[in-house]
Amino acid sequence: MRLPTVADIERRIPRPDDFDSRARGPELTARVGSALGICFAVCFATGMWSHLQYSTPGWLTLSPNPTQLYRWTQGLHIVSGTAAIPLLLVKLWSVFPRLFIRPERGARALVVEALERVSIAALMGSTFFMLTSGTLNIIGWYPWEFSFRRTHEAVAWVAIGALLVHIGVKLPVIRTALGAPVEHPDHDRDAAAPTRRSVLLAAFAASGLAVVLTAGQTVPWLRRVSAFSVRPGDGPQDLPVNRTAAGAGTAKTALDPAWRLELVAGDRTVSLSRDELLAMPQSTHRLPIACVEGWSRNATWTGVPLRDLLALVGADADTDVVVRSLQTRGAFGSSRVVGNVAEDERTMLALALNGETLDIDHGYPVRLIAPNRPGVFQTKWINRIEVGA
Amino acid sequence: MRAVRGLLVVAGVGFGLWGLWLMRDFTREQLTSEAFWLAGGVVLHDAVLAPVVVAVGYVASRVLPAHWRSATATAFVVWGTLTVAFLPVLSGQGGKPGNDTILGKPYVLSWVVLTLVLVAYAGVGALLRRRQGRSSDMKTLHGSGS
Repeated sequence: MRLPTVADIERRIPRPDDFDSRARGPELTARVGSALGICFAVCFATGMWSHLQYSTPGWLTLSPNPTQLYRWTQGLHIVSGTAAIPLLLVKLWSVFPRLFIRPERGARALVVEALERVSIAALMGSTFFMLTSGTLNIIGWYPWEFSFRRTHEAVAWVAIGALLVHIGVKLPVIRTALGAPVEHPDHDRDAAAPTRRSVLLAAFAASGLAVVLTAGQTVPWLRRVSAFSVRPGDGPQDLPVNRTAAGAGTAKTALDPAWRLELVAGDRTVSLSRDELLAMPQSTHRLPIACVEGWSRNATWTGVPLRDLLALVGADADTDVVVRSLQTRGAFGSSRVVGNVAEDERTMLALALNGETLDIDHGYPVRLIAPNRPGVFQTKWINRIEVGA
Repeated sequence: MRAVRGLLVVAGVGFGLWGLWLMRDFTREQLTSEAFWLAGGVVLHDAVLAPVVVAVGYVASRVLPAHWRSATATAFVVWGTLTVAFLPVLSGQGGKPGNDTILGKPYVLSWVVLTLVLVAYAGVGALLRRRQGRSSDMKTLHGSGS
């Protein structure tokens, strides 16, 4: 008995021709790939838009209008990412035999081949990373050591870069394939076999179903249909909760009768009880909570406009402020309200939600609510407002 | 087209390098974990998922009666990809203690229903196909008889 040689092993590894399904082919790949490319483009653009909310560069002033903008962009972010999953799997199935192409001879051909394989490995690795880390973030499971937000952002650039390289490399193939009829010329030689058209339709159907079955967390009329949405949409006062009072360590402090809202402007401090806030002129607006995890919901908020509070300490309506929470656990215990948002009449310290006294899990005694603002910056359990900070 | 292709590749490499630059201050521990999750998906797909799907397709194309094949393939594509897409909510992981506004649906039950619906789809598709096949057989018979 002799040991198997490299040639023996090589003979055992399948070759691209060994995969006999005529449903595969560049005509299918290019069509699924185009849809996938659109999903990734939307996902990337909306994702970067969201990162701009979190770390806004100095040259950019984010407007409180349109009111529902972040709700739309972040909803689309999650929808396009979800839609991409079935498309990605079908696309990879359609090209799987190419994994077994034997490298060509000759140094130049080898280098080109190696570079293309590296770019495809980068594309696959980064897209898997984006879709996995994104969907796990939605359910609140972090089985890794890196920072989700920063890594999800950095790898997104790698993913979109690898995608551009891939399109650049494949452009002639894509153009030819999209111009050709989808079906294999010999598809009716085996009439019972699945055709490219049937696989293409199945991929689109799966992608659409993935959206319909999850998007109810942001599209109200889909709520009953979306059996797989992470946020069923219910909660105290008909609104889901991201961080509960118990989770933020405010269950006791938020109910303390000695609680006061402190407005601090330089060396001037005004202290207000909840009753004093309730005695001020109240305004009511319908504004969304739009979470980065892709769920969102409109609600009716009643409270004191922030600019009225600024007037109390003699500050201009468009002064930058920092609101601070009683929160002792978890991130986002404070947030900055930029002048143009502070002066918007709808930006308020909310005392009531959907006609009832604000639930403790929604930020009792008072929370911030402003139009077109990611949910994590709608600070809850506020006890301090630093004016001009 | 050469120029467009060149531009895409150059822009792509630039974007990728920018992504790497954003990781410049990540700790070794963070980078190791990131590398694990970057490579993990590729390995899991190429070494496990794809071969299993190829094997399933191979067996199905030889075992299933002809009229079952097409509808079963469609149902399998939808079932398989949706199952992967819904793995996070099916995993039982995640959620937040004391917060029932997240992950508050019977996901496994929904998945069983989804599976049954797709099995039914394949069954109905097979039935229709067989009927169609019979009527076209009849036509061929009559056609050749005249």
